[in-house]
This record gives sequence, C-alpha cells and structure tokens, in this order.
Amino acid sequence: MPQNDQALLTRLKENGLEFVVIGGVCVVYHGAPLATFDLDICCAFGEPNLRRIEAALRDLNPVHRLTPNKLPLELTPHLCASLKNLYLQTDLGKLDCLGEVAGIGDYDAVLKQSVVAQFSYGEFRFLTLDGLITAKQAAGRERDLAALRHLLAIKERISRGPNGPEPSP
Amino acid sequence: MCDEETLAQMNGKYACPPDAGPAWREAMATGIDMSLIEHALTLTPEQRLAEHQQVIDFLSSLPGASLFHAAE
Repeated sequence: MPQNDQALLTRLKENGLEFVVIGGVCVVYHGAPLATFDLDICCAFGEPNLRRIEAALRDLNPVHRLTPNKLPLELTPHLCASLKNLYLQTDLGKLDCLGEVAGIGDYDAVLKQSVVAQFSYGEFRFLTLDGLITAKQAAGRERDLAALRHLLAIKERISRGPNGPEPSP
Repeated sequence: MCDEETLAQMNGKYACPPDAGPAWREAMATGIDMSLIEHALTLTPEQRLAEHQQVIDFLSSLPGASLFHAAE
C-alpha cells in the first residue's frame, strides 16, 4: 500500500485531532535525507481523541498492524481506556499514534517542544529539532542513532551562522 | 585540465566546507552523504516532505517493495 503522509495528516486535522508530528517524517522535515515508511504522531490519548482518529480513518480499512490477525480498529470505551499507542495500517499507509515520546514525555510535554509548520495544505505541528534530538538520543536504537548523526550535523550547520544554507525551522 | 582535487570531486569526493564543525565532520566520517543534507537544507520543509514523498512513491513502485514492507 502506498504511503501518503499528506493525505493522512489532512484527514487527522480535518477530524479535529490535535497532534505533533514526530519520528521519521519529522526527521525529513528538519532536513535529513532519510526515507521513512510510516507516519508517527503524538497526541493525547483518551476516548475523544481516539474517536477522532477512528473517524479520520473510517473508510481506510484501518487495522492494528502489529496484531497477528490484523485486527480492525474497532474502539470500545474499555479499549479506549487501555490504549497507550496505536500502530495502524490503513489504505493510505502506516500511522503510528503515540501517547508519549521517549526522552520528552506525554503530549503536553511534546506540544511544548513543537513548532507550527505552514504548508500549502494546512498548518501542522512538528517536534522541534532540539526535541527530536532529545527523543532520538533517548530511543537509542541503531536507526535512531543514524538519524541522530544527521540531526546533530544539521543543528551545528544551522547554528554556525549566516554563511550556512537557509536555516531549518 | 583540472587539478586532482577537482577531479576527485567529479568522481564523488565530498568537498567538506572549511568551516564545518565536529558534528558535521563526524557525520561525514560515518559515511553519511553530506551533500544530500546540504541539498535538503536549501529546500523549505514542505519541499523536503514533497521530495520525500516522491522517493517513497518510487521505492514503492520497485518490484521488491512488497518484500521490503513485509520485513518492516
């Protein structure tokens, strides 16, 4: 299934979900040339927001992609109270929704370390470069460390002043 | 005629900016293609995501893409 991050972001926003883009797409946002095949967001978990996610994806055949039988996304009050993350496969690609980000904390903490990006198709919040570096350092997996090398170089390049390329937000 | 350094760059040697800092040099030493980062930093964030989408679309069109996604 093709990954269409723009369409996923737009659907989530149109359904009233407040979220911050994290993960690989955020790495790309800040200028690292690394391909990623899912969209990771952080949002407050709880039934209202989970229902918004469900509404945004309703016609996209969302399933819990890490369950062996690819269980469909069918929320109940009990499930909503138990979920801390969602790892979904949809007809528009993979969407991972996290309630917390390692090294930063819950959605409120992530929100404080986010920046608004204005795109032609809407405004979206992304984790700041410093926040992303913190998260990658905390995650510590090999792929995170590879991204971290890119991000540290970008941060350094931006901080070195006016002769460098156009600054990343 | 061109000098050896220019020829090496034509052959793929990355010309590290003289003012590059330690993080930039460390990343370069690990084999990261810094020219790709330099290019990305000349783009707006929206352009970066659009370019990334093109890469994803292309990679997804390759014959082995289904195997790749299965392995993720």
